[in-house]
Amino acid sequence: MGMRAYIIRRILLLIPTIIGVTLLIFAVVQVLSPEQRAALYVTSEQQADDIEVIIEKYHLRDPVYIQYFIWITHVLQGNLGFNQKSPKGPVLANILNRAPATIELTIIAAPVIILLGIFLGVSSAVHRDRLVDHVTRIISIIGWSFPSFWLGILLLAVFYAGLGWVGPGRLSVDTDVFVRSADFTRYTGLYTIDGLLNGQLWVTVDALKHLILPVVSLTVQSIALIVRVMRSSMLEALTKGYIVSARAKGLGQREVINKHARRNALIPVVTLAGMLSAGLLTGVVITETIFYIPGLGSYAAHMALPPPDIAGVLGFTLFTGVLFVIVNLIVDVAYAYIDPRIRLE
Amino acid sequence: MEKTIESRELLDVKDLYVNFYTYAGVVEAIDGVNLLLKQGETLGLVGETGCGKSVTSLSIIVLVPPPGVIEKGDILLQMEDRTINLLKQKDRALMKIRGEDISMVFQDPRGALNPVYTVTQQVGEALLLHRKEELCRRVLQELERDISEANTFKRFIYKCEKKIYEKMMNTRERSASLSALSKIPFVNRYQGRLRNEIRKEVVRLLKTMRIADPERVLDMYPHELSGGMAQRVVIAMALSCDPRLLLADEPTTNLDVTIQAQILLLIKELKEQMESTILYVTHDLGVVAEICDRVAVMYGGNVVEITDTFTIFKKPSHPYTQDLLEAIPRPGKEFKSIRGEVPGLINPPKGCRYHPRCSKAMPICALSKPQVTQIEKGHFVMCHLYKT
Amino acid sequence: MKARTESPTIKELKFILTRIKKSPLSIIGIVVIAFFAAVALLCPILAPVPEGQEDPYVLTHFGWTSEPQPPSPEHLFGTAQWQYDIFYGCIWGTRTAFRIGIIVVAGNLIIGLIVGTLAGYYSGVIDELLMRLTDIIWAFPGLLLAMAFVSVMGPSLDSIVLALILVGWPSYARVIRSEILRVKQEDYVEAAKAIGCSDLRVITRHILINSIYPIIIMASLDTGAIVLSAAALSFLGLGPPTGYADWGQMISLSRGFIYKNAQDPLGYWFTWTYPGIFIFTFVLGWNLLGDAFRDILDPTLRRR
Repeated sequence: MGMRAYIIRRILLLIPTIIGVTLLIFAVVQVLSPEQRAALYVTSEQQADDIEVIIEKYHLRDPVYIQYFIWITHVLQGNLGFNQKSPKGPVLANILNRAPATIELTIIAAPVIILLGIFLGVSSAVHRDRLVDHVTRIISIIGWSFPSFWLGILLLAVFYAGLGWVGPGRLSVDTDVFVRSADFTRYTGLYTIDGLLNGQLWVTVDALKHLILPVVSLTVQSIALIVRVMRSSMLEALTKGYIVSARAKGLGQREVINKHARRNALIPVVTLAGMLSAGLLTGVVITETIFYIPGLGSYAAHMALPPPDIAGVLGFTLFTGVLFVIVNLIVDVAYAYIDPRIRLE
Repeated sequence: MEKTIESRELLDVKDLYVNFYTYAGVVEAIDGVNLLLKQGETLGLVGETGCGKSVTSLSIIVLVPPPGVIEKGDILLQMEDRTINLLKQKDRALMKIRGEDISMVFQDPRGALNPVYTVTQQVGEALLLHRKEELCRRVLQELERDISEANTFKRFIYKCEKKIYEKMMNTRERSASLSALSKIPFVNRYQGRLRNEIRKEVVRLLKTMRIADPERVLDMYPHELSGGMAQRVVIAMALSCDPRLLLADEPTTNLDVTIQAQILLLIKELKEQMESTILYVTHDLGVVAEICDRVAVMYGGNVVEITDTFTIFKKPSHPYTQDLLEAIPRPGKEFKSIRGEVPGLINPPKGCRYHPRCSKAMPICALSKPQVTQIEKGHFVMCHLYKT
Repeated sequence: MKARTESPTIKELKFILTRIKKSPLSIIGIVVIAFFAAVALLCPILAPVPEGQEDPYVLTHFGWTSEPQPPSPEHLFGTAQWQYDIFYGCIWGTRTAFRIGIIVVAGNLIIGLIVGTLAGYYSGVIDELLMRLTDIIWAFPGLLLAMAFVSVMGPSLDSIVLALILVGWPSYARVIRSEILRVKQEDYVEAAKAIGCSDLRVITRHILINSIYPIIIMASLDTGAIVLSAAALSFLGLGPPTGYADWGQMISLSRGFIYKNAQDPLGYWFTWTYPGIFIFTFVLGWNLLGDAFRDILDPTLRRR
């Protein structure tokens, strides 16, 4: 059973899972009355008065299976409802609008989590019971217990209120005015990249400066988790027979750690990756709220706040659900790549 | 078949002391061991679990795991033109010796193999470490042939490859430019030639191990191999670079009896073909009778008797050896075991470590450790019963 | 040879106690949780409920100014926005935290036990169906799904508890199921069935007793995470109404008071430090305790 067969099998499994996801969302929607459900699609004041028209249009009194079918068709066409809270407008368009800020944050956070976590975990295991190990372990258990929202506030207190180095938001006030002006084209929505593309390096620098605190706040918990798992799986790998066998072949200790031990130790960590991406998606909600970053996370938090904008909440949940399923697929494939024993399953 | 055993010595272990510093106390695992291996001979190292035979072989290759420390001693290895003391070598030198001059086969074959790499990758690793020059030379030969037959465009590519392989052949240590080159996606296809050579060599090695259909085994992972197959792969890995000395640490203990017999047969054949020197660690006297020329009996961290195989069975001289042979169950004979238990080595018995269980113990045995006496040519015993 | 007069259970307990004594982190965890438990029990004494107030969890307004006041003899930790007593909120917040933790874990355990046992013991179609259900819930990041549930149900403490249970039981079900699958094959289970024990008896007396350790470990490690999640939801505004003794909410109240003014930038520090310290130490204690349980009770690691 090679990699290819495994990948194909996993992709095929994707479809029923996504259907399951939609079913769950749909079930939650059904909790509401037809009028409330119709409210999801209201685009203007007049429509609100004549709710029956919408109920008709979306078949909201019909049997459940018809409703599901209609609902899915609309979803596939991109109609996830309309937001009544600001930003008003079609849910999908709003989600796509807010996506770049979140993408920028996660693209930097993810490698930091993975690389730093693995590195610290390996160092901790290799230098067991020495200073590096003790310090790392203490920091990791503290990091794991720290509420990320409190960390964000503390960071702002120290670095913004206390030292005045950088404030919340994606850019400082002046830069923000500049990027909205006609002199700046937003190609991707990610200010770090757009700054380069526009030839305005200072925009990139400013954006990066403003990303430091949010990234720290976002990554601490995940790094703590990886360090703990990586350390223990590395310690276990180092006791295995193939380590001595490799040294008997003439490999040096460092090579053995990097080439043999680490790859085996990564296996339990990869199984964590699903949990970590969940943590990232969740963390984004809190971090964006605290640092006033207009991304998907703060969108979700805003929509969920009472009175909730159900269209927004559900649209966001559906979006993240599908995204998460895809991420899990990638993780499973990575797992099978690293550990050939899995491919037999 | 007549075999001339050269009387040249290969390995001389002198006064080896190894301690393990554990939470429970200091374990005096090896208490002054002396061994002499002649080139071409197979020395069996026999003893019960805990007597220190594995630690001895690990000490020879200087891979005693923590909390073990080699306290003192000399391990002299005879190389081409000089003798070196393994315990005084730097790490780099040892890395070169391991795999190339001394290699080791372990007890658990599937445990000795890394589950995430294929057979080729693991055997090839040994080849790349010690026989890179030779493999590069073969690649260059192939390249010469290709260059002469190719058209202009291909000739250019081959010439570039030739430069790379020449560099690879001549650099002993890591080269920054080569490592960088090997990471560039499309360019690093030149490595394909080397991989091919490695595959060819691994196939040849697997054939020597009497593995049928070696091409299929090349890309298998350890969990896809049977126990016997895995052990053959491990032996292939150990012998891949033609070591002078092979340390075999109970290589057949974990295998089924029938497989055990096959592997023993294989080792016997290899012995004849390759004239290798083997230190064969085992607790099974039957195996000793099969393939060992000389035998050293260990107890409690000491070598208590050492002589050739014939003599050890016909004229065992140390009380422990005698008791050991007596304890082998035979049909019709009354079942006899050695009374007492293997001693813990944190607080070993004073004097001779066997005296608490010895039927021939004398008062002096509890007071002082016996000297090693030669009772006939090539037959040494460590016991108070034999004084010069 | 000493006569074996000690019962095995006593021996177990003694062994566990010695292990605990050897690990400083476990002791710290136990002490911290004991401390918080004491605080929770002594709430009415430490922070007396103001006269005439029915619900002790409601924070009273000691005045109506919106600006927080620094610590003083009447208000040991100071007051938050709209003059809520921070000390009162932190102390009674301890009870809220314990309530949430215990109820959610209990809910998770009950549902998880039922579902996991049915799936593991009876296998077949029931197993498949229940596992698919687990997969669907797992297809979402937990807290986000909980957010969706809470916002649909209307934010309150009960919604948070309910949402966290709905999102949390699958993990427990899975662990219990795999333990049952493992134990099911053991010989003593076959023996029990062979002498005619009913299914229920086999499950309760034989299988569950042996699966209990991983479940204890999981529950204790989870409590900290649950309290954190609940606090996060509260923080986002999805918790009890403003003016409730809840740590997460108190931190959210402090958001506007990170920066005071140029002369005294960190002037409102007391609004965000005290509740944060409470949450952090509480969760830390549970995590240390969970780690301790794992190190002590994990059958594969014992008696090394």
